[in-house]
Parts: sequence; structure tokens; C-alpha cells
Amino acid sequence: MELEDLVSPEGVIAHLKVTSKKQALQELSARAAALTGLSERTVFETLLERERLGSTGVGQGIAIPHGKLTELTRLYGLFARLETPIGFESVDDQPVDLVFLLLAPETAGADHLKALARISRLLRNPAVVEKLRASDDPAALFAILTEPVATHAA
Amino acid sequence: MEFANHIILIAAALITFSIFAGVLSSRIGAPLLLVFLAFGMLAGEDGLGGIKFQDFRLAYLTGSLALAVILFDGGLRTTREQFRHALSPAIVLATAGVAVTAGIVGVAAHYVLSYSWTEALLLGAIVGPTDAAAVFLLLHLRGLRLKPRVGSALEVESGLNDPMSIFMTLALVGLAAHGFPKGGWGETALQLGLDFLWQMGGGLLFGLVGGQIVLRAVNRLKFSAGIYPIFAGALALVVFAGAQSVEASGFLAIYLVGTTLGNNPHRATVEISRFSDGLSWLAQIGMFLMMGLLVTPSKLVGVLVPSLAIAAVLILVARPAAVFLSLAPFKYARSERAFISWVGLRGAVPIFLGTIPVLEHVRHAQAIFSIAFVVVIASLVIQGWTISWAAKLTEVELPPRPAARARVELDLPAGVGQTVVAYTVDPMSLAALRRMARMPLPQGTEIISIMREGQVRNTLPSDGVREGDIVMLLTEPHSLAQLDRLFAARKTRARVKDIGSVDFKLDGSANAGSVADMYGFLVTPHERDHTLASLMHARLGRDIDEGARIRAGNVELVALSIGEDGSPRRIGLDLDPPPPQSAATRIRLRLAEVRNSVKDLFLS
Repeated sequence: MELEDLVSPEGVIAHLKVTSKKQALQELSARAAALTGLSERTVFETLLERERLGSTGVGQGIAIPHGKLTELTRLYGLFARLETPIGFESVDDQPVDLVFLLLAPETAGADHLKALARISRLLRNPAVVEKLRASDDPAALFAILTEPVATHAA
Repeated sequence: MEFANHIILIAAALITFSIFAGVLSSRIGAPLLLVFLAFGMLAGEDGLGGIKFQDFRLAYLTGSLALAVILFDGGLRTTREQFRHALSPAIVLATAGVAVTAGIVGVAAHYVLSYSWTEALLLGAIVGPTDAAAVFLLLHLRGLRLKPRVGSALEVESGLNDPMSIFMTLALVGLAAHGFPKGGWGETALQLGLDFLWQMGGGLLFGLVGGQIVLRAVNRLKFSAGIYPIFAGALALVVFAGAQSVEASGFLAIYLVGTTLGNNPHRATVEISRFSDGLSWLAQIGMFLMMGLLVTPSKLVGVLVPSLAIAAVLILVARPAAVFLSLAPFKYARSERAFISWVGLRGAVPIFLGTIPVLEHVRHAQAIFSIAFVVVIASLVIQGWTISWAAKLTEVELPPRPAARARVELDLPAGVGQTVVAYTVDPMSLAALRRMARMPLPQGTEIISIMREGQVRNTLPSDGVREGDIVMLLTEPHSLAQLDRLFAARKTRARVKDIGSVDFKLDGSANAGSVADMYGFLVTPHERDHTLASLMHARLGRDIDEGARIRAGNVELVALSIGEDGSPRRIGLDLDPPPPQSAATRIRLRLAEVRNSVKDLFLS
């Protein structure tokens, strides 16, 4: 499972201006709706439902909201770099400035888990996160996200 | 004059060299205490040193003192948490467990050595007590952390089983030396029962009352800081000797004095704990050295074969039987029982107890002493060497906590129970990685000052703390572990999966059905309405330790933190857990690891 299969260059937002978790999820739902053709409201509610089980703010300023939707036919990823960090009820209480959104079809099963694990592993790599925070151009961000992991090591 | 100087020289040189030898030994993983014992033997009459030491009386005196000091320190280090986890199982292990062990070893000794029942049971009682110091030294040296229920049970057991073994040894020595009293079995049993109650009840009373007296005295009286540890230690020994002189158990009493002092706020916490730690080390080293000197290795040869048979019975039959019987009423997993059985390590206490029959001229006393000696060595070698292996195999090991780095503790002269600590912020610590200004300090903890590049600041800089800052905090001792986690480097070892590295963290109160749907695992219709926490309870039982995992489809749920009520509060979701392994695969992987580390040893 490569990230190119999930994210397209249009799915990368370099400057998202939001002031709260709710607004961030709303804004991302709107973008996801535009990309997938689903209703914004459905996406937003799915994401909220997931947040109720425990925040997807995984710490170190990163959040990976996700959810499953029956209407989808494939996995969709969106990445956003926030203009200003926002509170996300994260496990370490640290404000979040990098958000990766993943939407999966209801039937995705193992693929959904693999994609989530892949994203989670990528965003736990300090070298990657540093590069993402340092660039503010969608094309550059897309390149970093889809770069093979080995080249991040240096 | 010259005589005195020689003795000091010999004693100091012995201790110095055995510490050096100990440092070397930890590189090959040999149990440290075994090295001290071997060093004593080497210095003795059959070894290179040629020192003739046969004074059992002196050995008994110093042995009692050393054991009292070790138990005091053990008590000081045993926390209320540990008692809460494991007091009842530890009491059963320390009483019924010791009796079962002694009984089974006694039967073996009766048939193998054709001793009388009294003498055979005496041998059983002597090799009965376990030595947690030996266990924990080994674990700490390797940076292993045990599940709290398992570690606490072992630690508290070893503090409590010495008094029991001493009681049994003294009673049996009395019977062996002076024969049965005229009144026959009934009266003997009654007398022993009363003795037991008096010893333990008296020890309990002396310990609890004495503990309060020591605590109050330390907190009321004003000395210069260096006096406190000596004062506390001396007073504790007064309680010990006082109890002993009315034939109550002084060993139980001094252990309880230690726990009272260790679990209540008092002055000079740091001084007392450091002094006691050093003294307990000295007592351990001294006891092993002296017991090594006392034994005549050439005499061991004659009893070697029966001794090894007794050791085998102890390790393979008596201890496991005692553990499985004692823990039957408690909820322990099979693998946990197996681990507790395997680490019934014997330390200096059996050798010390072995001097008692010699002093009382019991028949076979010399042989009993020698056998106890061989049993201890066998236990240290076989069980000591394999302990971390056993911990991994039975999965009672927890991932390591970060080591505290550069924590300096200051004791407040005026305040009772609060300490001032200073940390040098580690570049890999949570505090340094968090660039935000807000830090989740434990309750009751305040930042006094932060020193950066030689400048003292009284407030937290707007960008938070940085690598190399020195942070000084006012805090309560029970928050220290939490602060260590905040300021020390977060090391992870490749072999143990860091429980902090789960992908997502869920609330224990989250609905199990929703989580199951989201991450594609199956739950029964009944479980759907449960919370995640109760799902874990349903699979793991009432007691859940931090780090406990359950498999759910392709993911694993990990208990990250346990709430006051014993239920997991935060549950981690591991999306990519290692595939489940059969026991055979685990053993094969471990063997490969052992083979590689042996190879490394020779190639490097």
C-alpha cells in the first residue's frame, strides 16, 4: 500500500486556516466531499463519530482522523498543514498542526488497516514530520508524503 | 596493633576486589552474589588466600546483623503499591509456601540422606526462604521490569519468609538437639503453635509500634542531616534486638519498621535511603564473602551428589508445588505462576541458617551446612542465569521505563514529605520534544526555576524547556516516577515493543461494538454494548496490568494506563501487531537470539 494510491496532489493543503478542531474537521469534510462526491455532512458526522471513541490526535502535533463510509468505492486520503496549531484533545495535549484524513469504504477491511498503519508509521518518523513542517508548497508536501521511506533516513 | 591493621587490610581488600569482580561478572551476566560467594571461597582455606575462618559464632552474629540490615532496607523500598498488589499472596507464599517447600525437601532428604525426620525437615526449613535481593539485583542489572503483581509478590514474599524459615529452623534445631519434650506429640505441637503465634504476633507488634516510634523520633528531633540515617538505623536495630530478646521475631519487626519509614513522609528521606542502600550492599557483600570463607570447599565434595539431588528436588518439585498451592486462591495466570516458581532464588539466608545447627551441635550439622551451601550455589547458577530468559518466555516482562538521567534530589530541611529535584533536560525527553509552553506537571509539583546558559529564570520560557536546561522543581516523592518520564530520554529497546508506540489511543469507556466495526474485528452480540475496558476484562480477568494485550482480528488492544478502579482508562490500538506465535516458535527465536549473543561474545 503506497501513499500515492491514497492521496492525489489535489488532496494536499499547504495552509489551512482554522481555529478549532470542529472547524478543521468541517473544512476537511468539505474538501473531501468535493473530491469524492459525497455529502459534506455525512463525512463530517462519520469523523465526529470516530472522535467520540477517543481523539485521533496521536501526539507530537499530529492528528489522523478517519472513518468508514458505505458510499465510497476506494480509499481517499487528504493532508493538511494548518496555518496555526489548534487544540485537538490529543493524548499529550499538544496542539495539532499536521492532519491526515483517511476515508475508507465500509468493505475495505484489511486495506483500511494497512493504509492507517502506513500513515501512522510515516507520521511517527521525526525526519518526515520535520520536512512537512518546513515546507509550505502543496507540490513539495505531496512529494515528501509519497517519497519512499528509505530516503527520509538521512 | 599489627594484627588489627592486618584484619582491616584483608577485609577492605576482599570487599574491594569482590566489587571489581562483580563489575566484570555483570558483563557475562553471572549473578553478582555468586561472585562474592566464590570470592570468599577463593580467599578461604582451600583457595588462594588460605585464610582459615571457622568461627561459626562470629558468622552467626554478623549474619544476623547483616540480615537485619538487608530486611530494613528491603522494607524501606517496599511501597504501599506493592503491598496493595501482592500482600495476601505474599503472606501465603511466605508461610504455607515455606512449610510446603520444607516438607517436600524434608521428605527427599529423609530418603536420599537417610536423616531422621527432624533433621531432614530442618534441612528443608533451612533451604526454604527465597532471596528477592538476588532476584531484583539481576533484573535491575539487565534493565528488566516485571509486571507489578508478579514483581511485588516476589519482593514482599522474600521480606516475609525469612522470619518463617528462622522460626522453623529454630524450632527444629531445638527438637533435634534436645529431643522431644515428654508430653508427646500433642503437647509439642501445641507448644510450637504458641511459639509461632508469639514470634509472629510479637514481631508484628514490635514492628508496627517500633516503626511509629522511629518515624516520630526522626520527625521530632533535630540533628545535622548526616546523623538521621545512623539514628534511624540504630533505632531500628534496637527494635530488632528488643524483639529478639523476648523471643519475638526481630526480623519481621525490622522489616515492618523499614516499611513504616519508607511509606510515610519523614525528614532526611534521601540521606536515610542512600545510607541504607549502601549499608545493605555492604551487608550483602559481607554476608556472602563471610559465608564463602566459612565453608570448607573440600568438605563439599563428599556431599556434592546428594546436595545436587536436594537442589533438583527444591527447584523442580518443592518450589513449584509450593507456589501452585499457595497461589491457588489468587488469580494468577499459569505463566505467572511458572515464573514465580522458577525465580525462587536462594541467597545468603539458607547459608546463614545453616550455621544455627552447627552452633547447637545437632547431628549432621556440618553436612547440613554444606548441603545448604551447594543448594544456594546451584540455585544462583541455574535460576540466576536464566532469569531474564524466564521472564521473556513467560511474558511477565514489561517494556522498560526511561532511565532517570541527571536527577538531583535535595531534601528540604523544614518541610516534611516534599523534595526539591533538579533535572538536566535530555534532548530526547518528552519535555524537550514538546515545544509548547504548557507542561503537564503532576499535581503538587511546581517549577522553582529554570537555568539556561547560566541564567536563572523564574518563569517557564515562552518556548518551553530546551535540551540542556536545568529545571528545578518542588514536588512530592510519589510524583518522581512521573517526572522521570517527562525529563529523561525515551529509550526504546528493539526487542520489547514499546507500549507507547501504539497507533491510536482510545478511551476505556468507548463502545466496543463501534470500535470493532471501525477496525474490522468480531465481537459477540453481547459484547457489542460493552465498553472497551470491560471487553478487556472479559478476556483477561479482573486484574489487568499496564501493557496487557488482547488480540482482536488483525489488531491488538493494549492497556496503556490503569485507572484507580483497576480498569484500563486508555487503550492503545496497535494496527500492525506481530503475528501470534506458538510457544515453539518463541523458544526457537529465543534460541537463535542466544546463539547470536554467544557468537557476539566471542567475535568482539
